[in-house]
Amino acid sequence: MKKIFFSILTIFLFSCQTLPVINSPVSPADEKALTCPSPFLKEKYRLVHAIETRMAGDTRSSIIGVTLADPSTRSVSCAIMTAEGMVLFEAESGPGALKVIRALPPFDSGDFAKNMIEDIKLIFLTPEGRIISRGYLPDGATVCRYLEENRDRIDVITSKSEGISIKRYSSVGLLKRQIKFNKTAGNIYQNIELQANETFDYSLLMNLIEAEPVKSRLLGTKSSRDTQK
Amino acid sequence: MNTRCNLYIFICIVAGVLLFFSPLIYAGANDFEQLRKESANIKTIQADFVQKKSMKILSRPLISEGRFFYAAPDSFRWEYFKPLRSIVIAHKNNTKRFIYSGGKMVEDKMGGAQAMKIVLGEVAGWMSGKFDQNPAFAATIKEGTKTLITLTPAGKSMAGMIEKIEITLSKKAGTVQSVKITESANNFTQINFDNVEINKAINPSVFQDVE
Repeated sequence: MKKIFFSILTIFLFSCQTLPVINSPVSPADEKALTCPSPFLKEKYRLVHAIETRMAGDTRSSIIGVTLADPSTRSVSCAIMTAEGMVLFEAESGPGALKVIRALPPFDSGDFAKNMIEDIKLIFLTPEGRIISRGYLPDGATVCRYLEENRDRIDVITSKSEGISIKRYSSVGLLKRQIKFNKTAGNIYQNIELQANETFDYSLLMNLIEAEPVKSRLLGTKSSRDTQK
Repeated sequence: MNTRCNLYIFICIVAGVLLFFSPLIYAGANDFEQLRKESANIKTIQADFVQKKSMKILSRPLISEGRFFYAAPDSFRWEYFKPLRSIVIAHKNNTKRFIYSGGKMVEDKMGGAQAMKIVLGEVAGWMSGKFDQNPAFAATIKEGTKTLITLTPAGKSMAGMIEKIEITLSKKAGTVQSVKITESANNFTQINFDNVEINKAINPSVFQDVE
């Protein structure tokens, strides 16, 4: 009973989060020293994650997610498969175009592909919008706020206690997505938690299986793969 | 629906495994009727497996490892050790899927136990060697240095999901070959088996306990 209560409370509190006030740096020196956190990819990368899906704090299922993201072109390819190797969803997104290669139920619903690509971009790519505010949250965390074309705000936050996180707020300031990078050692994408505030809230817990930079074959360079055992 | 697809994959693998280890391999089976007769001799099977998933987005195959158990007439355990720990257990008309979460195995809530039952109902025919009698697949056998059984979806239920399943049998006794499940030209799964043991006793707890 307690567990259910706390789950509901957590969802309620998460759902009610709104755009926080950013306190400006107190001095020019402080402002100069303030660096925007950037947990984003610097080069084209392929990442494979084990992904747990959760609703109301309860683990529902587990799948494998493959992401290929290129920050220079903002192109993203992704696939979702079961442990048995069955591909449930595959899509690629280039400049201005989204191509769904395969989508089996329930991944064939209207906005699923679009939302998934947006989530991947939110995690791995620097926001497209401009920085409209830099400073500190009331808890002391450093934050840089981006304004997206659709008026959404994206806060990229770094805190000594919580590490790096990303929050996406709607144009009216309601929290839509929260991403936490729970880095233990090595790759920052080792353990990622995404919380989505939708009609039915859900969360994804992503554990890195392997990651490798993708070099252009024309350059004749080999890519090295970091495999997590 | 996706659960049903997943289970089709699982069942195809199981069916392929059973076919691999059928005594018919030794007899040089050349028709499905012989398969049906001889498959009755299998009481248990256990084997390690390595699964290689290939698709365009991956630079090289994604490798998974696990172990498989079967006890006649209808007990299965299909377990992945890595990279994603999961287990499908079917025993006494009860089928469940478990995943590793928070340091323990928990039941997959999206598994759709009911769907699993439906699909496992279909596998009953496969278990008895009726590869050519399942209306969901058209089956062909090709004899050569190796025997190749190809299963092609016949109905609409598998359209767009699986292109074909190829089961390769060795003529040499006890030699395990592979199951290849092709979803599309650039998207296929190859499973190879090792340490195969046929008709060796299996503790019943294997089909009941997930840990």
